[in-house]
Amino acid sequence: MLGTTLLAAKEMPLGDMLFIIVAFLVLMVILKKVAFGPLTKVLDQRADKISSDLDGAEESRQQAEQLVEQRQNELDQTRQQASEVVASAKASAQKQGEDALAKANERADSIHQQAQADATKMKADAIAGAKSEVANLSVAIASKLMQKELSVDDQRALIDAYIADLDHK
Amino acid sequence: MDEPTATFRFLGLTFDWSIVISTLVSMAIVVAIAVFLSRRPSVRPNKRQNAMEWMLDFSNSIIGGQLPKDLARKFGLYAFTLFFFVIVSNEIGLLLQIKMGDGVTYMKSPTADPIVTMTLSIMTLAIAHGIGVKELGLGGYLKNMLLTPYSWMLPLNIIEQLANFLTLSLRLFGNIFAGEMLLNLIASSMAWPGHFNGFLTILALPLEMIWQGFSLFIGAIQAYVFVILTGVFIAQLSGNE
Repeated sequence: MLGTTLLAAKEMPLGDMLFIIVAFLVLMVILKKVAFGPLTKVLDQRADKISSDLDGAEESRQQAEQLVEQRQNELDQTRQQASEVVASAKASAQKQGEDALAKANERADSIHQQAQADATKMKADAIAGAKSEVANLSVAIASKLMQKELSVDDQRALIDAYIADLDHK
Repeated sequence: MDEPTATFRFLGLTFDWSIVISTLVSMAIVVAIAVFLSRRPSVRPNKRQNAMEWMLDFSNSIIGGQLPKDLARKFGLYAFTLFFFVIVSNEIGLLLQIKMGDGVTYMKSPTADPIVTMTLSIMTLAIAHGIGVKELGLGGYLKNMLLTPYSWMLPLNIIEQLANFLTLSLRLFGNIFAGEMLLNLIASSMAWPGHFNGFLTILALPLEMIWQGFSLFIGAIQAYVFVILTGVFIAQLSGNE
């Protein structure tokens, strides 16, 4: 109390000081309500958002890397499988071709053999037919010549000898 | 300083019209700017919000450079209000001064009045001492304030505390008062109304402009200094140096 009266006696500007302090406090409250509070909230929100976005970005990056790796693996696998398929297709095609070729060869061989056999048989038949024809003809000629009955069987050896001779000529 | 003043009495206390009006006008401008610049704030800021956020960031970084994080956050609002009010108060007198016929200046920079700056520094120091007691306890606070770094420095420390108050308030007052004083001197000595002084009158305009620009700069610097010293005192007295 003494202090206050002393200050008042010296005309200490208490009223002004009080006014300034009160006004300043009111200003503080108003600014907090109008600017500081909302802005600080927004700044905090933004800081949170940025940090969470950064985290999210890091996560996405890792996921993307993982995906790329997976994709690469799958691609490699697919490529391998494809080349396997191609190789097996090639192999089977080759095998089929070879089989077909072998079958054809076999068939050709058999046809050839058959033909050869047929030809040989026909030749033998022809020769045999010719032989008997020649023998009969010879006998007929001879019997005509000799006017004598000749037995075919008796003369067979001689005829064969002639024919062999013919063969050689 | 011997200028006439107009006072009124209210509740047994004497109020000075010029202080009351100047302070209220400055604060009204502060509030108007704040309301205009920070309407509907959003996470994705627009231009006006950016300007306000820049100011907020600035005051936060001033105080954040001096104090640990929790204290800085606690004093963010005080530093913001102080900076905003002081810078507007410093500049308003360059723009608007009203002197009535009775010789009383009703409107000027509030901070060109020693009472205002002393009140501001009393407020700052009261907060700094209060936070010192709160953080360190009364004994620790006294020891930290008076016996640090050595106990034989007690007299020096006492003087320092008194000097802190005077330098904090009178630095701001002196700078702003001198700036306005020189503005008035240039205006009234070279281009007073009703007299044409030839070359000098023409010279007054660029001189006035130059000095106004310089005072703007000084005003901003002083607001910055005032807030940074607030941070320093709080840090010192709460042992966070």
